[in-house]
Amino acid sequence: MTTDSTEMYNQISGILQAHSKVDIQITPQTLIATDLAIDSVEMFDLVMEIEEQYDISFPLEEASDIDTVQSLVDIIERLINV
Amino acid sequence: MFDTLGDKNSVFAKFQKLAERAKAVEATGRSPFGMRFDDMLSQTRARVGNAEILLAGTNNYMGLTFNPDVMAAAKAAIDAHGTATTGSRLANGTYSDHLDLEDELKDYFNAASAIVCTTGYQANLAAISALAGRGDHLLIDADSHACIYDACRLSDATTIRFRHNSPADLEKRLSRLPVDGARLVVIEGLYSMLGDVAPVAEFVEVAHAHGAMLFVDEAHSVGGYGEKGRGVSQAQGVLDKVDFISGTFSKSFASIGGFCVSRHEALELIRLVSRPYLFTASGSPANVATARAALALIASDSTLAKSLWDRVHQLYTGLVDAGLTPVSPPGPIMAISRPDEHQALAEWNMLMNAGVYVNLAIPPATPQAQSLLRLSLSAAHTEDDINQIIAAFRSLPQAG
Repeated sequence: MTTDSTEMYNQISGILQAHSKVDIQITPQTLIATDLAIDSVEMFDLVMEIEEQYDISFPLEEASDIDTVQSLVDIIERLINV
Repeated sequence: MFDTLGDKNSVFAKFQKLAERAKAVEATGRSPFGMRFDDMLSQTRARVGNAEILLAGTNNYMGLTFNPDVMAAAKAAIDAHGTATTGSRLANGTYSDHLDLEDELKDYFNAASAIVCTTGYQANLAAISALAGRGDHLLIDADSHACIYDACRLSDATTIRFRHNSPADLEKRLSRLPVDGARLVVIEGLYSMLGDVAPVAEFVEVAHAHGAMLFVDEAHSVGGYGEKGRGVSQAQGVLDKVDFISGTFSKSFASIGGFCVSRHEALELIRLVSRPYLFTASGSPANVATARAALALIASDSTLAKSLWDRVHQLYTGLVDAGLTPVSPPGPIMAISRPDEHQALAEWNMLMNAGVYVNLAIPPATPQAQSLLRLSLSAAHTEDDINQIIAAFRSLPQAG
C-alpha cells in the first residue's frame, strides 16, 4: 500500500470500529457484515459518513458489492480517482 | 411444514432465519403480516374471526371503497366490458375507459401526458426504469419506497442515494456528477412509513438548477393534500414545475392501478420501450371505472379532504395527550415509534384485542430500523371511531 492508501485504510478502519458492535482487530480481509456485526441499516449510515469525508457518492450497485474492509477501501479509492 | 429448509442446497435454505423470525412473531398471538379479514363490513370496519375490528391502517384515505357511486361504476363496467382485458396496453388491453382515465388525469394535473398502469408499483417501475437509461444518473431519497429501489435496479442508469428530505445533500451529490448524461431526481410527496412530507418546492429548485428533472411519487398524498387533492406538489405551489408525478389508485382512489403524468408530452414515448408497461395485462374494466368515479369525487367534493383532516387533528391531539406523540407533524399517516420490535408486536396484539387494527412496521421495512405502530386515517372515520382508537392506545401499559 502507498502512504495515501495506508492512511485511508487506517481512517476507514477507525470509522468501521466506531460503528462495530464487536471489538476485534480489523484486517483488510475482515468481513464488515459478519465479523463486525454491522447490519444493512448501520452500513447505510457508515457509507453516508464516508461519502461526506471523501466528498464522493457511492452508486447503489457498488454499495452492495462491499464485503471486506479492503473491498470498501478499493471502491473509495476508485471513486476518488473518477 | 418448511421441511426443506434444513437442506443447505435447497432454494429455500436462505429463508431459514426469516422462517424462525416469522414463527416467533406468530407465537405471540396472531400474525400481523397477511392477516385474514373474514368480512369487510364497511370502509372502516371488518370482521376478524368473531370480532368486529375498527380499521386504522388501510390507506383508504378518502373512504370511497363502499361509496355507492364508485361501486355502481365498477358493477356497470363489469356488465359492459367483462371482468378482465386479458392483454397488455400495447396489444388488446387498451379500452376506451383507459384512455378516458388518462385524459381525465391530464385535466386534473394540468399535464401534457398521462399513462395509466395496472398497479402503483408498476407505474414507478415502468416510468423510472424507462426514463433513466445507460449513462444517466438516478438520484433517489434514501427513504424511498421499495418500488423506487426496484425501478433503479431495472434501470441501466447509475443510482445514487441522498439523505432523506435533504435538498442540501442532493445538491452536493448533483455537483459531484459528471457533465454527461441525464439526471432524474426521485422523491415522494408523503412518505408511507413515517408520514413526513417532502420539501418539494426546494427539491424543484435544486434539481432544475443542476439540470436534473424531478419525479415525485404522490401515492399517499393525492386526495389528502393540495387543492382538489392534487398532492403535495400542488400544495407547495410547484405542480407546474415538477416534471413527473406518479401515483396509485389503490389508496385514495379505492381501486387498484397506477399512473404517471408529466408536463412533458414526450413521456408518451415510454409506452414503446418500458418493459413493465409492455409486458403486463392492463387494469380490469372494474378497476379503471372505479378509479374514474373516485377521481371525479375527489376533484369535486372538498368535504372528503376536510373530514379526513378533522379526524387527523382529533387523533393527533389524542395521541399526544396519551403520551404517544407521532414521529411526524399531523397528517393522514401517523407513526408511533416503539423501543423495539418485541414491544411493538406486543402492543399491536393489545390493540387488536381492544378492537383496533393498525399496521405493525418493523425493520428492514422501516427507516433507521425503527419499530412502528403505523396508523392511516380515512375521511370515513367518525369522531367516535377516533375516540375508540385513542382509548385503545391509552389502554397500552406504556401510554402516559
